[in-house]
Amino acid sequence: MQNAKDTFYITLRSRLATVNPERTMMVRAVSRPGIFVQDAEAPMAQPLLDAFALNWTALAADVQLPAILTQMTCEIQYATAGTQNNAGLDRGRALEEMDYEVLKILYPYASQKMNYTQTPAAAMETMVFWSEPEFGPAVTIRDRLNRTVKVTVYAFQEQAEL
Amino acid sequence: MSTTAVTPLRALPAIGRRVRGYFAPVDRVHQQPTIFDPSANGQFAADAPPAPWVDLGWIENFARKSASKFGGMVTGSPATTQFQVRETVDATVSFRFKAWSKLSMALAAGSEHMNLIVPATGAAGNGSGSKGVAPVKLAAGSTATFLSLAASDADGFAAGSLVTVDVDYAGQTGYVGSGVFAACVQSAAAVNSDPDYIRRVSFNVARVASLATGATSGLVLAQPLIAGVPSSAMCVQPICGFIDREGGSFFQEWSALFLIEGQQGERIFFHYPRLQSTAGSAESATAMTAPLERIALSASFRALPVTDTNDGAAVVCFRSFLPSESTLV
Repeated sequence: MQNAKDTFYITLRSRLATVNPERTMMVRAVSRPGIFVQDAEAPMAQPLLDAFALNWTALAADVQLPAILTQMTCEIQYATAGTQNNAGLDRGRALEEMDYEVLKILYPYASQKMNYTQTPAAAMETMVFWSEPEFGPAVTIRDRLNRTVKVTVYAFQEQAEL
Repeated sequence: MSTTAVTPLRALPAIGRRVRGYFAPVDRVHQQPTIFDPSANGQFAADAPPAPWVDLGWIENFARKSASKFGGMVTGSPATTQFQVRETVDATVSFRFKAWSKLSMALAAGSEHMNLIVPATGAAGNGSGSKGVAPVKLAAGSTATFLSLAASDADGFAAGSLVTVDVDYAGQTGYVGSGVFAACVQSAAAVNSDPDYIRRVSFNVARVASLATGATSGLVLAQPLIAGVPSSAMCVQPICGFIDREGGSFFQEWSALFLIEGQQGERIFFHYPRLQSTAGSAESATAMTAPLERIALSASFRALPVTDTNDGAAVVCFRSFLPSESTLV
């Protein structure tokens, strides 16, 4: 399952770097595309603004198939307060921009599963694929606009992963 | 002196999770189905059925019905039923294959099931596949998992590709196909005397795992051929997929075995020595996360009779029960 999670994250990160190269974040003094896996970073008091945070939540498995089909829910959370230059009055526009980027980086809804635990990363046998995004409502918390998008990610467990 | 005592339980309900399906070819020429003997093979490992049974995995929506009809011998006044007679013996079985493969697709379709041979350059288009690229002849030394080819011939294939392996069609009529009788040829004219026809319908297919080079060049197969060691008369052609049709006059016939494993170790088998399809190809969808759906192959069959050599009875299905080790029977 970890290979599928890694593949999903790296796929979205690579696509984001193409869709909007300007969306970057500074983490541990390194600038990188503005998307990260929540459970692979230090705990944060508040989510990073203007970046996408991936949270893995529900897990299910269909074991009645020739290969186990795992079904993992990924919640993509993001928030924005707009820009300082505009005193935050553009936060609605900023959120819309992130919504559009989510749509762009999720499509196509599949990617070759990769094993990133080795260098260079190795292509595996199957595809990781996911549902279309399910957008939650925009939630206002003080000066921030927040949204959570739910995506269900599927992957077959391969022999090499057992 | 006594052995370890068994403290038996009363007979318990059978609680199963799922049904597993196994299939084996029927020798149509000699009208010989594959018979499963539960007394000899009832405890086989579910992942490794005895030859020639092929494991087609867990199936769903398994439903079997007896369609036998009974009649009463009514006499007297007022009339009362004195005896019963069995007027017809009939049974059907239906289920869904979860996984798509050559075998599951062919079983569900019921008629001829064709391989899509990689087309020759410039070949005229055709609904079930056009004229294929030239086949290559097997060299000596092939096995069920290795196709020995001249190095120049092996170069024409790639690891990961699919191949069909069978003899040339040479004008014969009747059942054709190695390992499984895949079609019944009425006349050479009906199949255009196509030398590739048998490879087009053959079940003797596999995926190429890798290419072997050097002294023993050829194709290493990722799965064994259903017909076993290929004969030197066979040729190999690359294929890119499979196709079935709504139509055709041929009925495939298969022996089938269904297994339910109980939670206490008991086993229930349903063995149909002869099954023929009762419906054309159809699918059904199971919703995942919208709009994703898992597409299953729907299959339904009628059971045909065999003679039980123990008593000469004509039967269409055997149901057997192997109890768990701890229950009274």
